[in-house]
Amino acid sequence: MISLMQWNAQHRQILNYAVTIASVLACLFVLPTRLPGMELLGVGPNWLLIWVVAWSVKRTPLQGTIAGLSLGLIQDGLTALQPTHALSLAVVGFLTARIQKQRYIQEDFISVALIVFGMAVLAETIIALQFSVPRLGFAASTPHRTLAEIWFYHQRIALSSAILSSLWAPAVYYPLNRWWERMNAAEQAQA
Amino acid sequence: MYTLRRWWDRHALRVGLISLALSTAWLIRQTQGAAIFETYQVLTRPFQSGPTRAERLENAQLQELQQRLLELESQNQRLRELLGDVSNRSGQEVIAPVIGRSSDHWWQQIILGRGSQQGVTKDAIVTGTGGLVGRVIQVTSNTSRVLLISDPSSQIGVTISRSRSMGYLRGQAQNRAVMEFFDKVPDVRPGDVVSTSSFSQLFPAGLPVGRVESVDLRKSPAPEAVIELSAPISYLEWVIVAPNPRSADELSIPDAGAGDAE
Repeated sequence: MISLMQWNAQHRQILNYAVTIASVLACLFVLPTRLPGMELLGVGPNWLLIWVVAWSVKRTPLQGTIAGLSLGLIQDGLTALQPTHALSLAVVGFLTARIQKQRYIQEDFISVALIVFGMAVLAETIIALQFSVPRLGFAASTPHRTLAEIWFYHQRIALSSAILSSLWAPAVYYPLNRWWERMNAAEQAQA
Repeated sequence: MYTLRRWWDRHALRVGLISLALSTAWLIRQTQGAAIFETYQVLTRPFQSGPTRAERLENAQLQELQQRLLELESQNQRLRELLGDVSNRSGQEVIAPVIGRSSDHWWQQIILGRGSQQGVTKDAIVTGTGGLVGRVIQVTSNTSRVLLISDPSSQIGVTISRSRSMGYLRGQAQNRAVMEFFDKVPDVRPGDVVSTSSFSQLFPAGLPVGRVESVDLRKSPAPEAVIELSAPISYLEWVIVAPNPRSADELSIPDAGAGDAE
């Protein structure tokens, strides 16, 4: 850690960006895998959502929204452009930052797991709404799923994704949070 | 002007970073994540295991059956040629490992470790042991993405092999699908074999799809049957990718997105 302190501020900043981007890439690469223990009813944890929550917990709503928007656009590219994930993840980033957890709750692990649980349900609900709105007559472009099917499927996905994501949340949150805290500390020591 | 300048001096880096993040994300979206899938394929290469001993024995048995089938097929072909029916089947099949599943929960997709360099093309037909699996919707140089037939957006014209009752199939996630019949009173029983019909615009006719599990004739607007897909969609490890004989001629699909049906 002392070596980090001695680093030039600019180099430290670049290292910080590199670690952040590497963590996003790591989340992207785990997304298509289904390792044993990471699957419930064929559904895996929502790694990008966990990352967005970890990022937004101690940041401003604008930063949270932009992170959610970017990761949502990337996830669109990996699956299908419509319905978009950018909306749900941006809302998740915004709300997580608005909660201002550190002001009310000091304790970290369980509260983050709870936030991830709630946000996972919210994100799946937003996507389910996007699926069902064309049904209500705004655009008749997706005649594939009936309303009953969408919401039955939503129940299953939202529950298993929320449980798995909240269980795996510390695996992403803990190292990232430690890293960002150290970077902040180093920055303040220098300023 | 001065305040604007000061604001810019202070926030230039932040604005730059935000636009960089958003434009990178947009780029990845527009390229359908090609770079990410390519890297993923390289990263997972050590984990793409070869077959175990039991599987090899099974494979040998399977091969024997396949060879017999091949023999029968070629006899069949010759008989058809005698009758004047020229089939345009090209033998360019690619065997591809399944290296990943869908990156979110709403789409039923798989990612294959073979791409355009190995001869996979868009709209190619993907089959596994047991029957039809899906259709290639996106190809990069070393990976390809397949929309499974268990996805609700992939609708396929199918027929009951025994009675030729026609209908179309809608995926229901996992290894179930619902078949809606065109007739009011279709001739169908549990246990009947379902295969793709000649009405299907995306798939060639006659590919095995599954087996009828239960029938609901009173369903409105059309009678329905629940189909158990015969390919083990949830445990696929290797699949066979064959070029689509239909895509060569008149087929034109509007968009790459997973949302196209027929």
